[in-house]
Amino acid sequence: MASDLLSVSIDFETSHLFFPHIVHWLLAGLFLLILVTKVVPFMAAVKRGERTLPIIGEARDSKRFFGTLALICAYFYLMAVVGDLFPYTGYGFLFVSMVFVLLMSLMYLHDWTKKKLIIVVINAIAAPTIAWFVLAKLFTITLP
Amino acid sequence: MLLARKTLMSVSVAGVMLGAALGSGVAMAQDAQLRGNVRVVIGSTSTGGDTYQNASIVVDRLAEHLGVNMKVDAVGASSAFRTLDRDSRGNTLMIFHDQSYLGHLYGVQGYDDIFEKYTIGPTIAINPGNAYLVPMDSPYQSLDDIIEAVGSGETVRVAIQPGGVSEIGFSALKNAIAIEHPGQEDNLVAVNTGSQSDKNQQLFDGQADVINGSVQANEQYTRLPESDQKAMRFVWLTARQETIEQAPEEGLGQTTRDQLLEYVEPNVTVTMGDDENFTFDKEFFFLYNKEMDQGIVDQIDEALTEIFDEGEVQQAQLDAFFIPDFKPSAEASEYLQEKMSRYQDIISNIN
Amino acid sequence: MDFLAFIDFTFLLLVGFGTLVGIIFGAIPGMTATMAVAVCLPLTYALGLNHGLALLLGLYVGGISGGMVPAVLLNIPGTPSSITTTFDGYPMAQKGEGEKALRICVIASLVGGLVSALVLFLFAPLLADFSIKFSYVEKFLIILLALSVIASLSSSMLIGIFSGVIGIWLSLIGDYSISDGGNGHTRLMFDFMEPYLFEGFSLLPVLIGIFGISTILLEAEKGVKRDTAGERIKLGKEGGFSLSVFKGGLTNLTRSSFIGTFVGMLPGVGGSAASVLAYTQEKNLARDSSQMGKGAPQGLIASESANNALTGGALIPLLSLGIPGDSTTAVLIGAFTLQGIQVGPLFIPENHDTWYVMMVALVLANFVMFVLMFFAIKHIAKVVMVPKHILYPLIVMMCVVGAYAINYGIMFDVWTLLIFGVLGYLIQKIGLEVAPLIIGFILGSQAEVYFVKSLESFGTYSIFFTKSSIAMVLWALIAASVLFAIAMGFKSRARQKMELSQMHTPSNTTAGKRHDSTND
Repeated sequence: MASDLLSVSIDFETSHLFFPHIVHWLLAGLFLLILVTKVVPFMAAVKRGERTLPIIGEARDSKRFFGTLALICAYFYLMAVVGDLFPYTGYGFLFVSMVFVLLMSLMYLHDWTKKKLIIVVINAIAAPTIAWFVLAKLFTITLP
Repeated sequence: MLLARKTLMSVSVAGVMLGAALGSGVAMAQDAQLRGNVRVVIGSTSTGGDTYQNASIVVDRLAEHLGVNMKVDAVGASSAFRTLDRDSRGNTLMIFHDQSYLGHLYGVQGYDDIFEKYTIGPTIAINPGNAYLVPMDSPYQSLDDIIEAVGSGETVRVAIQPGGVSEIGFSALKNAIAIEHPGQEDNLVAVNTGSQSDKNQQLFDGQADVINGSVQANEQYTRLPESDQKAMRFVWLTARQETIEQAPEEGLGQTTRDQLLEYVEPNVTVTMGDDENFTFDKEFFFLYNKEMDQGIVDQIDEALTEIFDEGEVQQAQLDAFFIPDFKPSAEASEYLQEKMSRYQDIISNIN
Repeated sequence: MDFLAFIDFTFLLLVGFGTLVGIIFGAIPGMTATMAVAVCLPLTYALGLNHGLALLLGLYVGGISGGMVPAVLLNIPGTPSSITTTFDGYPMAQKGEGEKALRICVIASLVGGLVSALVLFLFAPLLADFSIKFSYVEKFLIILLALSVIASLSSSMLIGIFSGVIGIWLSLIGDYSISDGGNGHTRLMFDFMEPYLFEGFSLLPVLIGIFGISTILLEAEKGVKRDTAGERIKLGKEGGFSLSVFKGGLTNLTRSSFIGTFVGMLPGVGGSAASVLAYTQEKNLARDSSQMGKGAPQGLIASESANNALTGGALIPLLSLGIPGDSTTAVLIGAFTLQGIQVGPLFIPENHDTWYVMMVALVLANFVMFVLMFFAIKHIAKVVMVPKHILYPLIVMMCVVGAYAINYGIMFDVWTLLIFGVLGYLIQKIGLEVAPLIIGFILGSQAEVYFVKSLESFGTYSIFFTKSSIAMVLWALIAASVLFAIAMGFKSRARQKMELSQMHTPSNTTAGKRHDSTND
């Protein structure tokens, strides 16, 4: 009797949905619990002005934050584009990394002294070159 | 010395290309030759597997012969097809095996008709090892025993990996039972599982009566004493008789070629009807982007013809227990299409 | 003793060289032991079998060990199996105990490596026969046991479990792979995503994205104020390290080493589960585990001894069943076939010399790793002295290399870094937890395969309870783990109440476990 209750037959054609289905129910249940026990009290606290909403209500260095996001997006995108001009040489990685490392360093650098700038430039040229040489040339790992 | 020359070459090539790219703003004009760096993607993610080994044996020699940099990357089927789709310049080539069209025949998501979508390149080698095994103490002494048992209503479970090379032998067996014992074929049940270790495990657990395996992976298990619960026996190799006959005489491990020949036709036969027997050789071949210049297709055909004429590559393949099998592009395409249509019949018969 | 003839100066040199290169690969976020072995595989053809194995085993041991470095110093697991090292290592580094943390890791690694080598040497065939008693059912329960750590890992059990289940959900995106015996259909995505997500998100880019990139985003948001991370992370003289840290940790060390060996031995269950499981068990069984996750040496000991014990463990099924225990040993099979040697149940009896040579190389590699790391730590730990405006761009760059190279050149893996970097940022902002999520992600797809396949075979849920006595033991462990988590939950709730009554309401109790000490 008990074994009837527990018995289950999985159709191979739809077996890819079996486990996700269980996970969905779990997620829904947990989400409801959290909604009731955490989110509702939290929103009430926000209303009373005791707490601030995450992300929206926080102070942030917008220039650096969104600058970082934009730089990373451009970096990933251009790497593939430039890399495609020189198929499988790793030059896409090499050249775009140099520009990226330089720009990101400059963005994060607070006081632009001559000495620091020189280090930043040397680093931006040397680091990608070393990485490229060792990995793409010595170990023949495919790079963009 | 070699490294220096290669570096120098790629730097100068890059220089030329940089100039071209800057000058015209578009990629350089097509030339019907392989040039620069060439990447050969394979349909497997394993760098220890047979596809990788076969690819690297041939690609290394091809690269040396043509004087270009070539690199084999194990990106897996889905990614390999996608990478190939994007590059018609000839900088990306692909090597895969029969899975590429069997996946399509079995309706696996992500597999298109390769004969429509790609240019078929030359075949390079056969892995003759595709095998079916039973536990050492199995009541079934031969494949015929299994066919008879299923025909008389007994359920026999076969552990396979679904949707391709591992399933085709199972499908053929099922088809044969449908021909010899109509209506009984559903007693042959597939246990869908994954890697070789999963298949072995199903056998050890008694969840399968027969497993798909390979000579390479299972040969040692067939030499264990019967008292060992891991011991197995071959019952069937799907390869053609003439394929196994080309294997080195000493066979593999301590199983000789003559012993292996006991498990192929005419000793073991699986009918396809019309007096024809089913055989399956797992063949490795190149796939090209459809738009790739015919000049490159010819160039690779010619280079491989010369490499295989030299004869050294065959020895390397045999040493790794692969059977040399070079057919130039056009011939390979025709041959593989014919091969596919036979398997298509089997699969549609049993569904 | 014939095998001694094979051990010459070149052999020793190759072990050392392999270990060094392995450590470097492991220490670069995204580069793994597997990649190190794969990249050097072609070299072994020229080297011959014994010398080739010396190199590869060195790479293997070095690669697994190297993962501790970025885990401790940068909060980025260098390899998936060092994920639990970040839990305690980075908090220690923040307290200025980076060097001490690394020394603890190195010693734990050595012990783990040696214990597993010993187990491999003495019991390989015996254990192989034991390991095949673990079918889908038992493997599922092992995964479940490892997952149970999620409940006790976070300050709020509910949030922890929720985060973990999200991680499991994320791991299911993509196809139910035919190579696991699935039907190859995709799920949990729209059709337009299929070209990119057919195989789902791959583990390593997810890991370094969610740890590495999101950390940088969080810092960028604060304006990357301090010029060097080193002002926070004082290096300290010797970091106050002494062997006394291991006092009372012997049980932990032994237990974790055996857990690591054992998990490594189970084909398919694989690397990251080992350290997670060892961490779980230390958390459950230790007399006082309240500091774990906040910078407790015991966490490091559990994690690192287990992940190095993997090496010997994973070699057990390779050498006595012909089946790789993890992804690195899968590549090692290639090395054997290149030399025309089959691995399988008869490998050890038929290749006595090779077997001894491998053992020597393995033990040697562990010692070389120890010596190299132990004395290099002082210099390695200086990474944190590098100014952030230099360090962060380099971290991004190396993450890109690692992500792109892990699957041999797939651009989407690089975008995965960004996707999970942003996701990791959002998750921490809204108060969910990264650690349980990532553990869910690592173990989720295995849990699915083992769960569904068990049911397909047996057709009833009751099989999970009745399959074998091993299953019963595992259930007992799971129950203990869950009960423990609940007890811990009550304790911490009581503590929170006390804190609340003092009007101290840190909104970052859940969010900023690792970031709240940047108090500037």
